Parts: sequence; structure tokens; C-alpha cells
Amino acid sequence: MEVSWETSVEKSINTIYLLFSAYLVFMMQLGFAMLCAGSVRAKNAMNIMLTNVVDAVVGSISYYLFGFAFAFGEGSSSNPFIGTYYFALKDIPNSTYDYSFFLYQWAFAIAVAGITSGSIAERTQFSTYLIFSFFLTGFVYPVVSHWMWSSSGWLSPSASDLFIGSGAIDFAGSGVVHLVGGIAGLWGSLIEGPRAGRFDAFGKPVPMRGHNATLVVLGTFLLWFGWFGFNPGSFDKILVSYPTTSDQGNWTGVSRTAVTTALAGSTAGIVTLFGRRLLVGHWDALDVCNGVLGGFVAITSGCSVVEPWAAIVCGLVSAWVLIGLNIVALKLKFDDPLEATQLHGGCGAWGLIFTGLFAKEEFVVQVYDSGASGVSRPYGLFLGGGWNLLGSQVVEILAIVGWDSISPATVGTHTRVIRRKHGPGTTQTMRGFRTGS
Amino acid sequence: MAAISCSAEQLSSLLGPNSTGAADYLCSVVSSISSKLHDTSYAVDSTYLLFSAYLVFSMQLGFAMLCAGSVRAKNTMNIMLTNVLDAATGGIFYYLFGFAFAFGSPSNSFIGRHFFGLRDVPSPLYDYSNFLYQWAFAIAAAGITSGSIAERTQFVAYLIYSSFLTGFVYPVVSHWIWSNDGWASAFNTGNLLFGSGAIDFAGSGVVHMVGGIAGLWGALIEGPRIGRFDHTGRSVALRGHSASLVVLGTFLLWFGWYGFNPGSFNKILVSYGTSSGYYGQWSAVGRTAVTTTLAGCTAALTTLFGKRIMSGHWNVTDVCNGLLGGFAAITAGCSVVEPWAAIVCGFVSAIVLIGCNKLAEVLKYDDPLEAAQLHGGCGAWGLIFTGLFAKEEFVREVYAADAGRPHGLLMGGGGKLLAAQLVEIVVIAGWVSATMGPLFYLLHRMKLLRISAEDEMAGMDLTRHGGFAYVYHDEDESQAKVNNGGIPLRGFSNSVPTRGD
Repeated sequence: MEVSWETSVEKSINTIYLLFSAYLVFMMQLGFAMLCAGSVRAKNAMNIMLTNVVDAVVGSISYYLFGFAFAFGEGSSSNPFIGTYYFALKDIPNSTYDYSFFLYQWAFAIAVAGITSGSIAERTQFSTYLIFSFFLTGFVYPVVSHWMWSSSGWLSPSASDLFIGSGAIDFAGSGVVHLVGGIAGLWGSLIEGPRAGRFDAFGKPVPMRGHNATLVVLGTFLLWFGWFGFNPGSFDKILVSYPTTSDQGNWTGVSRTAVTTALAGSTAGIVTLFGRRLLVGHWDALDVCNGVLGGFVAITSGCSVVEPWAAIVCGLVSAWVLIGLNIVALKLKFDDPLEATQLHGGCGAWGLIFTGLFAKEEFVVQVYDSGASGVSRPYGLFLGGGWNLLGSQVVEILAIVGWDSISPATVGTHTRVIRRKHGPGTTQTMRGFRTGS
Repeated sequence: MAAISCSAEQLSSLLGPNSTGAADYLCSVVSSISSKLHDTSYAVDSTYLLFSAYLVFSMQLGFAMLCAGSVRAKNTMNIMLTNVLDAATGGIFYYLFGFAFAFGSPSNSFIGRHFFGLRDVPSPLYDYSNFLYQWAFAIAAAGITSGSIAERTQFVAYLIYSSFLTGFVYPVVSHWIWSNDGWASAFNTGNLLFGSGAIDFAGSGVVHMVGGIAGLWGALIEGPRIGRFDHTGRSVALRGHSASLVVLGTFLLWFGWYGFNPGSFNKILVSYGTSSGYYGQWSAVGRTAVTTTLAGCTAALTTLFGKRIMSGHWNVTDVCNGLLGGFAAITAGCSVVEPWAAIVCGFVSAIVLIGCNKLAEVLKYDDPLEAAQLHGGCGAWGLIFTGLFAKEEFVREVYAADAGRPHGLLMGGGGKLLAAQLVEIVVIAGWVSATMGPLFYLLHRMKLLRISAEDEMAGMDLTRHGGFAYVYHDEDESQAKVNNGGIPLRGFSNSVPTRGD
């Protein structure tokens, strides 16, 4: 049966939209590589950048072979815990999923491993990192995304049988991507311990500044740019009209999502600027960059279902969450070179809670029921939507922390670490030469 | 877009007796097709505008890298922080009232008064994608100014002028030229200035001149950087610390300009009548990308050879600036001129930039990024260029205008468009001077504008931003002071960094 012209138009437009969003998300790999490179000492720059490249290339293989299947596989027997179909993209494309969807999800999957590499930077054996990255992208992360984003997932808001009548709303992955990456990084970092010299003999922290602030800013802006694919692109399709309106559809939701994203990051950046000025006495560009990113991480969960003014609230709180967690980390002698656990884990968790408080019913119905009339859904507590959504969000946080802690820990216990008190870092010994100054 | 309609009565009368049912059925099918096409059109246009907005946003990064590379290493953190904050503060202020002042319709011809905090958006006129696109433009304007006052401005002053520029000064100008109500707008069909309106398609005046003139006042009031002109008044080059960053930034700006110029159509799915099936707004969009490219390239080549003649060598950073000047100039008329005209535009803009730089030297005006000369000078040339070369057919298509609309003087369009362009130049220069000039002067009088000489010599990164941007030798770490929170606060090092690092 020939495809109708009308269907061709619709699919072409949706594919263009999703593919270009996927390319933007892929740019975030570059952004994160630059952020990492600039944030570590010069002697470890090659190492951290190689881990970022490796995340992309190794993750591609594992996600293609089985990661995508675990995440979105729906065969005749759909399983709420893990997918069981589409291994090595068998039976793709079909009426539900095309290659563009796989590519988009692949771009997300490789982002997760990148996050974790930040926590364990400057002291992790490369061979261990390879194994860990393969496993995280191919198994740990896809299972979580199955729970939340597959229509058979037990926590998914698109499931036919909604968890406590709601399902958890994690639109582009504050939990699925950022919390997963952050908690995995937490365990790696805890088990490895701080970098040599990070805390002195009295337990006081010794600053270990990154070697290139320009790369940090470059990376931050590239991540911001890519986030315009990460958040709005999660609609998957742009050509879906809302039946109760005359000229609104996913294109409206997509645009609104881009706006909430920009506002949350902006607010978090400004609040961090002034917050840190109060705390440390100067205007710190690197802290502002991290603050901006924390705002994006937080809004990622609810970007499509909240009003723009709520996104400002989200960014405001996320800035303080990050500042607070950083202070706690120092007190507990926890060393995370990129603050990845605090930023992705902490702000990610806040983002999920934020959604449970501020989601607007009209938008929830637009996103998850294509704006059908007569449908009602639990929504944000502060907007009068009851406790079910917030409850689901909390369950998601607990489930992710639990799952994430069991899986990588088994790998982590076997992690061996190069420990050196003085002299060359990992880059020189393992790569043969160091970056020039 | 004209609505597809179906009248069941008319259809029924054509079909014959007892055909009301058939007519109703056919009309309902037509109606759902029309609806689907309507939706498709929105999806296509939104995709187009959003991706253009993301491209314009990437110009923030480009400008951050250009700035970083053009200043001395000791001031890198400072200038990059100003670029990050342009985007962040611009986001908040433009959301709260900037967009409303710019596009709040219906309103008077001076300033808008709806959509504060995006109230009543989305509306039939503006969707969120329009806001995001315009936000990306607004933050670009503030970024330009930061270049003029780099390396010697207090951070507080920076925050104040940036908010004021993005939240008020710039939106008002964009209301005059781009809103349907604006007094100089070429979209104000009921009430066109000189029967023409000014044509500033993507903002040589609205964005570049505004940023450049604001920068001019800041730099004039602050004065040149220490050491920029020696005791005999001769100019001393204060070279930027990284040509690679300058080139990176230039290419990113070029990349982003493909959102800046072609994206200013806002919609791509618009037909220009039924005469030729393959030509529509999508063609004009493509043509705009071509004119943009040609102007920049010509300007770059002209600068390359011009500077070779003048200074004896091939200078990459000058070529980069020349390239950007070409883009700033074509921005006004990119959609309404032929590609060959874009070459003329670029050629002249290179000469304008070289000339303005010479003038700046003579007048002992110091602008670390040549922002006033580039954005102000080439921007003004771009407006004049449009008044000379705009083609009637393109003006009619782009502005949905009637025949007989004034166009380029050299294309037989009379002098009205050129006159409107000149009015725009004068009015922008006047408005920005009247608003930003006093602001900078006030900050200067309150001693909030320029940093102290000691801070300037040591570098702002060291004195105000927690330390240098580049730490290549870890042994330096052990000398850093540590306070209770573990936050590094560097003391002054014994050797004062020399000029040029």
C-alpha cells in the first residue's frame, strides 16, 4: 500500500525536527568534553577528553546492540521493567519507531556516561572506565528509561495502567539522565576517594583549579545550545495539533519548552552570580557556568508542563541547591572534580520535585494525551493538582537511586585507582606525553 | 495564508437536487484538509524559526570566544562572564518587559504595551518561538557593547548597563523599525514613513548600531586602556592573547548568522502568488543566506589585501574583523538585494571599517574589539547600502507591499527609502546617545564605571574573579590562600603581569 502524500508530509516534517534535535543533543558531547577539559588540571586533559570520545563511540555499540532494546522494546509480551525487543534494531523502522527516534535516544544515552566521567576524573584507570561506560549506556540507563519513557514502563505517564493514577513526569530526563549519571558518579567517586592532595593533613580542602576557564565557558555555551535539542526535541513530533484549540499544537508546546529552558538556566546563573559574590567576595565565572547548567538540569523534568514564570522559580531554587550541596560535599570530604553529583544528582532530584509542585494540567494533557478534551490528570501540588504526581516523582527518585546504587557498585568495587602523591598524572604515564602549556 | 473554504449551499446547488447530504460531507472533508494544512504550516514555520533562534543563540558563544581571544589573558574570565550574563540577565529582563516594549501590539508608534511577562502569549500574532527568537537578538546587542568597554570596566556597571540596554533601550528601537505599529517600520502599512518605512531587515541599525553606539559612549567616557597610547600620543597595540579563539569565535558567529539573517523572515512557508510554482518565501530565505555569505567573504578578502598593502603582512585577526563587518553591513538589506549587490556591500564595508579604525587612532579612541567601528560604522553603511540597492520585486515580496513602493535609489526607486534609512541612522544614534550616554556618565561620576589603575595592571581576573583563567602549572596551587570554605582567594603575586600576556 502506497504511502499517502499527506502522511509523507507529516512524517518528513517530524523527521526533520527530530533529526536536527538529535544533532543538537550530540553537540552536548562536545560541550561536555570542553567543560571537562577546562575543569581538570592540564596534566589530565587528554585523559578526560578521551573518556568523552569513548563515551560516544562505545555507547553507540552497546546502545545499538541492546541498550535501545532494553529501553523501548515492546514485543507481544510487554514488560514493565525492561524491554525485550528490537535488539540490534531488528524490526526498526516500524509504525511506532523510526531510525530518527533511535538516533535521538542514542544521543541521550551517550550523554549519561559523560556525566559520570566528571565525578571520577583525574584518578580512574582507563580500562575500568571503558567497561563502566559500556555497561552504563547499555544496561543501567536503558532500564531506567524503560520505566519512565516506554509506554509499557511501570512509572511511565504514557502507560495504559498509570502508577497511582499519574505516572511520573520526567519529560527530558532530570531523573532518567541526570540523576542516573550523577548517582553513578557519586558511587564511583566515593569508592575511589578524593584526588591525592585534595584535602590536606588537617582535612581542609585544597583548591585544584581547572587549567582553562575559556574551555569551561565554551563548553557551557555549547551545552546551552544543545539543550535546545534536548528539551524541546523530547516532544519527538512537532506536527500534532491540539483538538480543543484553533491554532495550537506541539509546535506551541515545543516553543514554550525552549522558553522555559532558557529562563531556568538564566535565573540560576544570575542567582549563582550574586549568591557566590556574597559567599566568596568575588564574581566567579566558573561558578556561574555551573549554576546555569544546574538550572537546565532542573528544568529538564518539567520543561514542557510548566508556565514560564514557574521556570524562573525552578532556576532560583536550583542555584541554592547546588551551592548548598557543594558546601556539604566539602564538609564530607567528597571530591567531585566537575561537581557532577551535586549538579546532575542534586539539581536533577530538585527538578523532579519541582515538576510535582508546578505542573499545569492543561500542559500535562497536551503533552501526554495530545490535548484531547475531557481528559483529566494529576498535576502540580501548588496548582491544586493533588499529591499523586508529587508522590510519583518521589518514587522515581527513590527507584533511580536504588537501582543506580546496586548496578555500578558491583563494577565500582573492582575499580583500581592510580594513586600518586607527586609527579605525573594519568595522562603522562598512560598516554606518553602531556598537553603543552 | 488564504483559507480554503467550502460552502455547502453553493456545492449543493451545483450538484443538483437532494444533494445537501453529499455537499455537507464534501465540505467537512475539505474543512479537515484545510485544518491539517493549517497545522502543517504552523509546524513547519515553528521548526524553521526555532532552529534559527538556536543558531542566533550560538552567536553568544561565538562572541564570547571572539572577546576572550581579543583581550589579554589576565582579563579573560571577566569578559567571558559578561557574555554569559548578557544571555542570563537578558533572558529575565526581556521576558519581563523587553519583549512587551518591542512587540506589544496594538500600541502607539513609540513603544509597545502588551505581553509583559509573556501575558497573552501565544496569540495569533506571536508564539513562544517569536519570543525566543527576539530574545536571542536582544542579548546579541548587549554583547556588542561589552567589547568596547572591555578590560577596564567594573562589573557592577556592566550589570546595570546590560539590563537597561536589553530591557529598554534596544526594545524601543526594535519597536520603531520592526513592530507593526512602529513609526519608522516598513510593516506599518497604514502609516509609512515617507511612504516607504525604513528597511532594516535583520538589524544593521536596530542591533548593530545600537550596540556599537552604546559601546562608543562607554569607551569615550572611560577613556583608553592604560598604555594604549604612549606619552607622545602614538598608538600601541595591545594584542589579544589567542588568535585561535578569535577565529573560533568568528566562525561560530558566521554559522549563527545563518539564523540571524534568513531567520528574520520568521516564516518560511509563504507563497508569493501563483505565477511560478517553485518560487516562494523559501527561495527568498535561501537568497538571503547567499547574500549574507557573499558580503562577508568579499569584506574579508578586501580586508586581507587592504591590510597587506597598508601593513605589509597577511593579518588573520584583521581579516576576521573585516568578515564580521561585512556581515553587520549586509544585515539590513540581505533579503531585498541581489547577490551581486551583496558583493558591493562587503567591499565598501571593509573600507569603512579600515577608515573608522584609522579615525579612532587619530582621535585616541580605544575600543578593544573595534565594536563601535565595526557594528556602528559598518551597521550605518549597511542601512545606506540598502537605500541604494534594494530591488522593488524583493521589497514587495518581503514586506507584502503594493506596487510602486519606494526602493533603492540606484535601482530606480527614488530617494524616499534612502531618506528613511538616513532618518533611522540619525534617530538611533540620537536615542542611544541620549539614553546610554547619560547612564555611562552617571556611573562614571559615581565612580562605578572604570576600575582602578592597580586593578587594571594586575588584570581583572586576579582582582575580581578569583584568579587567572589559565593554570598550566600545578605548582602555583600551593601558593593559593584558602579560607574556611575551601574557596581559593589568590593574593597578589609578586610579579605584575606584563602587557601582552
